[in-house]
Amino acid sequence: MQEFLQYLFSGVTNGAIYAVIALGFSTLYSATDLINFAQGEFVMLGALVLVTLWSQAHLPLWAAFPLTVLLVAAFGMVFERVAIRTVRKPSPILLVLITVGASIFLRGVAMLIWGKDAYSVPAFSKTQAIEIGGAYLLPQSLWILGIVVLLVVGLNLFYHRTLTGKAMQACAINKRAASLLGVGTQKIALLAWGLSAGLGAVAGVIIAPITMSSYDMGTMLGLKGFCAAMLGGLGNFWGAVVGGVLLGILEAMGVGYASSSLRDAIAFFLLLLILYARPTGILGKASTQRF
Amino acid sequence: MNAQEEEKPAPVLELDRVSKSFGGVRAAQEVSFSVASGHIHALIGPNGAGKTTLFNLITGIYPADDGSVLFEGRDVGRLEVYERVAAGIARTFQNVELFTGMSVLENVMVGLHVRTRCGFFGALAKWPWVRREEEQARGTALDWLKFVGLEKMAESQAGDLPFGWQRLVEIARALASRPRLLLLDEPAAGLNARETRDLGVLLRQIRTRGVTLLLVEHDMSLTMEISDRIVVLDQGRKIAEGTPREIQADEKVLAAYLGQGE
Amino acid sequence: MRVLANVIGYLLVGSAILAVGLWVDNYYYFQLLTFIGINTLLAVGLNMLMGYAGQISLGHAAFYGLGAYTTGILGVHLGWPPLVTLPCALLVSGLVAWLVGRPTLKLHGYYLGMGTLGVGMIVHVLFREWSSLTGGPSGLPGIPTLSLGPLEIPGGRPYMFVVWGVVLVSFAMCQRLVHSRVGRALRAIHFSEQAAAAVGVDTARAKLQVFVFAGVLAGLAGFLYAHMVTFVSPSSFGFLVSVRIVAMVVIGGMASIWGSLFGASLLTMLPEWLHVFSEYEVLVYGLILVVVMIFFPQGLTRGMLDLYERARRGKTGSGS
Ligand SMILES: Nc1ncnc2c1ncn2[C@@H]1O[C@H](COP(=O)(O)OP(=O)(O)O)[C@@H](O)[C@H]1O
Ligand SMILES: [Mg+2]
Repeated sequence: MQEFLQYLFSGVTNGAIYAVIALGFSTLYSATDLINFAQGEFVMLGALVLVTLWSQAHLPLWAAFPLTVLLVAAFGMVFERVAIRTVRKPSPILLVLITVGASIFLRGVAMLIWGKDAYSVPAFSKTQAIEIGGAYLLPQSLWILGIVVLLVVGLNLFYHRTLTGKAMQACAINKRAASLLGVGTQKIALLAWGLSAGLGAVAGVIIAPITMSSYDMGTMLGLKGFCAAMLGGLGNFWGAVVGGVLLGILEAMGVGYASSSLRDAIAFFLLLLILYARPTGILGKASTQRF
Repeated sequence: MNAQEEEKPAPVLELDRVSKSFGGVRAAQEVSFSVASGHIHALIGPNGAGKTTLFNLITGIYPADDGSVLFEGRDVGRLEVYERVAAGIARTFQNVELFTGMSVLENVMVGLHVRTRCGFFGALAKWPWVRREEEQARGTALDWLKFVGLEKMAESQAGDLPFGWQRLVEIARALASRPRLLLLDEPAAGLNARETRDLGVLLRQIRTRGVTLLLVEHDMSLTMEISDRIVVLDQGRKIAEGTPREIQADEKVLAAYLGQGE
Repeated sequence: MRVLANVIGYLLVGSAILAVGLWVDNYYYFQLLTFIGINTLLAVGLNMLMGYAGQISLGHAAFYGLGAYTTGILGVHLGWPPLVTLPCALLVSGLVAWLVGRPTLKLHGYYLGMGTLGVGMIVHVLFREWSSLTGGPSGLPGIPTLSLGPLEIPGGRPYMFVVWGVVLVSFAMCQRLVHSRVGRALRAIHFSEQAAAAVGVDTARAKLQVFVFAGVLAGLAGFLYAHMVTFVSPSSFGFLVSVRIVAMVVIGGMASIWGSLFGASLLTMLPEWLHVFSEYEVLVYGLILVVVMIFFPQGLTRGMLDLYERARRGKTGSGS
């Protein structure tokens, strides 16, 4: 029982992080119909920028957190301008290759800047771990869960209550309708990239205290975030949370009760399972070309 | 009922209460009609009436929600898209779907896909029969290009051709699969008056080759001139069917077209 | 015209290899050329899938690895001779491609990218974790060198000849495919899957066939790699390797068989030239991939030709 609780706590914590990454995929997808294979690299950047701001610039974490998110979000927007909008005839295959290339490039750049070392930062609060039924729950886990809930509520408010948010949603459904609302699709794409990169950075920031951060952490996190997004339904914010937590728990139980070598395989099996179970493309969108 | 059917030629295509909706949009609602062998049959109706959807249901691009599609008396509802082509149903598209990166000749040769046999290993081994088949395919494709008057363009890139010619290539490509039923989705759209007249002649020639035609067309003078029978669709429903003369006199049809202007 | 250009291509490549074999006596060059040959094999297979049929794969290294590991495992653990392991290697990569391809190729666009990536990752995890068979993360040493019956083919010059013989034969095969009924169907699928189906192409079957074909070619490359290096480890078949193969195809130009040769040569030699950058090799791949896809989506060779054409036309235009 104690063991089980411990696995559960760690699963939910990891799952919440996958959920934040999934939110990044979902916001971008729902506005631009695009899946960014470099999303995990934004997470890595979030963690490592935070490390630098905290250890080199000696900023307190509460100040470094928002600054990191802003920096990475700005970077996401620059990326959109430089590498996405410049594509003359965008097609999924081109954009997959560009974002894959970008992810490898960013990884290399991060290795140039931060080297191959792994870094860590202290937890957000210094309180002791809480004991529940013999298992320990880290205060950082509570922070993470709290932040996830805040993000989802915030995103839902943004999408349903603000004009910009509504326009972003309209953009996904119909580009013309969006421009009727008076918001250019280009502006929306830029905003979506900023938002999505920022969400990636948030995931990086909240994970930094509980794991060692290094230049190559992003790829796996990105894939797991995508898996979570697919599980919960791409573009669905609460779905991302459900998917992330589900994946986190399955992973933790698999590692705990079977073998730690299963850790990554579980996510990929789930990913393939969900992709295969809905072969027409999730939401049936990808393949119904109209004549 | 029976007596009536016996005096007409046997139907090539029969739709029986075919329905399809997309989310809330009911694009086809219990549509039934049949197309007699050797006829030129037209399907008309305002934009969004569900004409293209019906083509997609007949060719299997969408599965029907309900109802059945019979081709030469056989239910083809379960067949894959390519199997229906092999069975003898070919089509063209409203927005011309040529393989733009390939030559005109190659486009027509893809149309011969269901009438040729060379598979993966055949292509690798290039047996004598594969070479012969390839030569024959080339010849047949050229013949079809000649039939639509474009044999001179055989080696051009399909995407470089003027729009009107692209339509003709698409017809040649469809004919290459030796269909017994040819579905044409707005073949005259985007053509000038002269091209439209030539198209009318071509369609009649196709019919004399034993191909039954079902066409969606907005050009009323062409439709009225060449069709043996017309079905009118509005908002997914069949609202009228008859000879061109009957249709022209039908008030429901007039109302449907006038309603579109609002 | 096309035939002539191809004949010249075969003659050029063949005589270049022969010339190196006859007049150069440097193991390093033989090895480099052998690796270029192996990478060309990988690239040309993937190009059939990606360039011609338009189906992206981010997990091609899986089939490369399956070929290499099958060769290694059968050779090391069971002591089977290469003549027997070769068909096994091809069979395993082809069979896995067939099994995996059926569900995966129903996906499109981004989902196909993710699906193939996932397949590649799972196979990679398998190489790393199934230690009793694969030797785990540290790899499987002691693979025998290539021998065909009594004929020993050691690394270096003879091996280079064998690999390039295989490359040229596979080129001929790919060319036959491209200009056949099957190749036309594949190109039609690239343009629009639904239009191809509506013209009578069994798209699922055609895609699966070319996926298996690419998988078998990768398995063949894996077989040649295993006997060349006599050692296999998971890191040679990971995600980055898949991306490198994709980059070779993209740089050489999608749907260009000779382009694959160019892309593979460039990306195999680049790390050798940029010795100082060896740490940052992947950074360069990433950058190349992004830049080429943005500015030369037709590939570097075609892109350069276009630029040259434009420059020339611009000059004559202003001159007259
Ligand atoms: N793939 C699809 N997804 C959603 N709605 C569709 C689809 N295809 C057609 N429709 C809808 O079905 C209706 C009929 O369309 P269509 O058959 O193209 O009409 P027509 O060809 O008569 O102009 C329209 O309201 C159209 O928006
Ligand atoms: Mg239509």
